[in-house]
Amino acid sequence: MAERDAEEATMSHQAPERSSIPSGDNTVWADISPLLDAACKELGDGEMIHGENFNLFAAMSALEIMDPKMDSGIVSKYCSLDEAIEDGAAPVPLSHDKTIDVQSIIDIMDHLLACEATWHSGHSLAQTVFSCIYLLRLDRTSSHAILHSYCRVIRATCKAVVSVVSDARTHEEEDLFSMTYGLPLDGDGDEKCLSFLNAVEETICRQLRACKAPSSKKRVLEDIEPLQHNLDLEEGFCKALLCRLRFRKHFFHTLACMRRPQGRGFEMARKHIASCILELESILKSAEFLRFGVCGTCKDGIEGKTTASGHTPIGFDASLNSRSAAPTPPRAIKILSWKRAVEYFVKLLHDLDVICSYSLDPSLEGVLRFVVQFQKSKPDLVARAHLQVLLVQDGKLYGRYPIFAVITKASALPEFTKNHDIQKSECFMQLGQLVINMLKILCTNAAWQRRKLGKILQDWRVIYVQLELALRNEVGEVSSNMDDEKMSVKILRHVLNWVEEQTYWIASRFLMLGFELDLYSPSEYCMVYWYLYVVLIKLAEKTHFRMAVSNEPIKRKGKKKKDSLKEVAKESRVHPAILFLQCHMCLAEGLTMMLAALRNDLMVLQSQNPFNTEQERFLQHFELLQKACIPDHISYPSFKESTSYARLSVSIL
Amino acid sequence: MAGGGACCGRGGGGSEDSIIWAKSPSQPSTSFAFGLCLVLTSNKIKKRHPKSRSLLAARLGSELKETMEQEEGEARMHKVEFDPSEIEYVSYGGEHHLPLIMNLVDQELSEPYSIFTYRYFVYLWPHLSFLAFHKGKCVGTVVCKMGEHRSTFRGYIAMLVVIKPYRGRGIATELVTRSIKVMMESGCEEVTLEAEVTNKGALALYGRLGFIRAKRLFRYYLNGVDAFRLKLLFPCPEIHPSLSMMADKVESHGHHDHIAPEECPEHHHIS
Repeated sequence: MAERDAEEATMSHQAPERSSIPSGDNTVWADISPLLDAACKELGDGEMIHGENFNLFAAMSALEIMDPKMDSGIVSKYCSLDEAIEDGAAPVPLSHDKTIDVQSIIDIMDHLLACEATWHSGHSLAQTVFSCIYLLRLDRTSSHAILHSYCRVIRATCKAVVSVVSDARTHEEEDLFSMTYGLPLDGDGDEKCLSFLNAVEETICRQLRACKAPSSKKRVLEDIEPLQHNLDLEEGFCKALLCRLRFRKHFFHTLACMRRPQGRGFEMARKHIASCILELESILKSAEFLRFGVCGTCKDGIEGKTTASGHTPIGFDASLNSRSAAPTPPRAIKILSWKRAVEYFVKLLHDLDVICSYSLDPSLEGVLRFVVQFQKSKPDLVARAHLQVLLVQDGKLYGRYPIFAVITKASALPEFTKNHDIQKSECFMQLGQLVINMLKILCTNAAWQRRKLGKILQDWRVIYVQLELALRNEVGEVSSNMDDEKMSVKILRHVLNWVEEQTYWIASRFLMLGFELDLYSPSEYCMVYWYLYVVLIKLAEKTHFRMAVSNEPIKRKGKKKKDSLKEVAKESRVHPAILFLQCHMCLAEGLTMMLAALRNDLMVLQSQNPFNTEQERFLQHFELLQKACIPDHISYPSFKESTSYARLSVSIL
Repeated sequence: MAGGGACCGRGGGGSEDSIIWAKSPSQPSTSFAFGLCLVLTSNKIKKRHPKSRSLLAARLGSELKETMEQEEGEARMHKVEFDPSEIEYVSYGGEHHLPLIMNLVDQELSEPYSIFTYRYFVYLWPHLSFLAFHKGKCVGTVVCKMGEHRSTFRGYIAMLVVIKPYRGRGIATELVTRSIKVMMESGCEEVTLEAEVTNKGALALYGRLGFIRAKRLFRYYLNGVDAFRLKLLFPCPEIHPSLSMMADKVESHGHHDHIAPEECPEHHHIS
C-alpha cells in the first residue's frame, strides 16, 4: 500500500501541472518522454511512425497539441468560465462607484453591438456576442436591472436572428452563423424581456426628468434616486442609456413583426425600423459626451475602438468559448469597430425596410424584378434570410399563393386553370419544386447564387423535356372529356413556353452576375456579350410568344377603336417588357461587335497564352450553358463566325 | 472518428527546423529537430466545413498575396540585379530541399505551415515542385499536386513563393510554367488553385497563362476575403485512359520520369 502511494506520489509529481484528469484506481500517469526520445533518435530524416489509416493527407489536417496556433485550449487565460468569474473578470455590479458603473455598462452595450455586427458579418456567435461573460451566466446579473434586462434582450434577439437564418436554410458559405452548440441561447422568460426593458427605460426616463427639472420641482421628485452621483453628467448618461435601450427594444420589435406570416407585420415593422434609425442617430451623437464629457480629456484614436467612449469594456473573453467556437484552429477575431457596427445596422435596417415596403406582387415577374433589384444593394445574410422566408413559406409564394397558381399566372393562362388537376402530376410537382428552389437561390449571396443558377439550368432543361413528353402524350390520347383534354393541352403549351422563357432568364442572370463578381477578364468580354446576346434573343422570343398568347387584353388608352386598321396598329405596338429586352439585346450586340472590331483591327483585348486558346476559355465559361443546350446550336465556331468580320470601318455600320 | 495514430516526425537538416518543431514554450529546444507532439487527426477540420476546409486554402491564399504583391516601390528598394540566365531552376530533389522550401514560405508568412503540409506535397509529387536558385541561394519555389477529382484528372498549385528582392522578373511565372508543363505531360485535364480576389499580382500572372476565374467564393478566407477559383483547361480534354494509368504510377512510385503521350503509343488501347 505504502509502496503504491509512494509510486503514485512520484508519478503525480511528474504529471503535467494543471492536470484535470486525476489518476484513478485503474489508471496511473507514466512519463514516456524517454521512450519517445529514444524512438526519435532512431528515426531517419523524413521517416514517420504512424498507424495504418494515417496517411500524409490526414497528417496535413492534424492539430499539434500545445501549439497555440492550433490548439484552442492553450490560448486561454482561464481554464473555465468559473475561473474567470472567480478571478473577477465580470463583476456585478461593474463598479461600486455608480458613475463608473454606468460608464462601464454603456461600454458593454457598445461592445455587444460591435460583436453582434461582427457575428452577422460571418464570424461565430461564440467568439463574438457570447464572448460576454455576463451573457454566459445571465443569472448573475439579476441584481443589476439595466445589465440584466439588456443581456436578456440581446439573448432573445440573437435567438430570433438565428431562427430566421436557420429557417431560410440556404447553407451558403455563411454556415458558421447558426452554430450555437453549447451556448445558452434559450432563456426562460426571455419573451418577457421587453417588459424588463420597459421598466428600466421608465426608471431612467424619470431620472432624466428629475435631473432636468428646475430645483423647485426636484423636491417633489426626490424619491427618484439618480442614475449616478455626478449631477453634471446625469443628463448625458441618461440620454446615452435611453437611446441604446430603445434601439434594442425597437430592433426586437422589428424582428418580431417581420416574422409574422405573409408580411402582415410589415407596416408595424417599418415604424419600428424608423425608430431604430432615430435611436442609432442618438447613439452616434452620444459619443461626444462619452468621450469628452466624462473625463474632460479626449481619448485619442477612437477609430478602431469597439465603444463610443474609446474604453475597453470589462467582462469579455473570447477564448472562454474556444470549444464551442467554429471547428478551426484558434484565430483572434477582429471585432468590428463601433462606428462600423452602427453603419452595419443602419444598412441592415434600410434593407429590412425595403423588404417591408414590398407590395407582395403576386406575379412571378414582379417578384423576380424585385429580388434582382434588392440584391443590387448587396444586402447581408440577415436581410436576405428575411426576404427568403417572406417569399417562400409552406411551399407557397408569401405563404399565400400556391406555386401552381403562380406558374399558371406566369404562363399567361386564365385564372381558373390554377385549380386544374394536372398540378398533381409528377411533372408539375417537380416544376413547383424548381420554382421554389429558384426563388431561394435568388436570395443568396451573388457568388453562391451564380454557381447554383448555373447548376439548375440542367434541371430546367430536363423538366422542359418531360413536359414536352407529357404534351405529346396528352395530344395523342383520346379523352372522354373533350374540354378537359383541351385544357390540359393548353396548360402544357403555355407552361412549356414559360419554362423556356424562365430558363433563358436564369441563363441571362448567370451571365450578368459574372460581371458583378468580376469573373471575366477584358479579353473575355467579347464572348460573354456575344453569348448574352444570343441568350437575350431567345428570351425575347419566348417573352413575345407569351405576350401574344396572353388572354389579357393590352390596355388601351382613349376611346374604343372602331377602325380595325387602327386596332391592328395598336396590337402590333411592342410591349414594354419586350422593348426593354430589345434594348439589352442591342447593347449586347453592339458591345460584342465593338470589342470584336477592336480586336480584329487593332489587336487589342486578346490573350495569347502558352497553354490553351480562346476556345478552351469559351468552353469553360459557358460549360453549364452548353451542357443544357442553352441555346441550341451555339458553339465556339459560331462565335468566331459572328465576330471575325467585325471592323471599325464606318461603312459597315 | 477520433484520431489516427501517434506519430513522431523528424525534420531534415539543421537547427532551423527546431524553430518549426518546438513552438510551444514548454518544449525544450533541442539540437536535432525534434518536437514531441502527439498528433491527433481532427475530423472536424477535414469536414466539408467551408471555413475549416479553407484553412489550408486560407494560408495558401494569404501566402500568395504576400509574394505576388506588385508594390513596385518596395521591390525596388531591396532589388537585386541579375540576369534571368543566372537563375537556376531545379526540380525537387529530396529531403535536402525541404528546409529550403519551408524557410522560403515561412519567411513570407506570419504563420508557417506544419511540416506535414510540405511533406504531403513533396513526397507524393516531387516532380511537380520546383525551386529557383540564384548564385546558390534559393529565391523561389512552387509546390503542387495532382490527382483525380470528380472524374477529372487535375493539377493543383498549392504554394508559390518568390522572395521580395527577386520579384517582378518572371521567376514566379517560370516556376509555375514548369510545373504546369509537367502536369500537362502527366495527363492532367486542367489545373486549379484559389487566390484572394485582392491579389492582383497572382491574378495577372495566372491570367497571362490562360487561367479563367471559374468561380467566386464568398468570404472564403478566415479574414473574410473572397476568393476566385482559377482554372486552366488544357486543349483536347479527351485524355487517353493510358495516360491516367501512367499518372497513377507516377503518383504511387514517386517517379521523376515524365512519360509523354507520344512515347507510349502501345498504351492507347488499354482500357
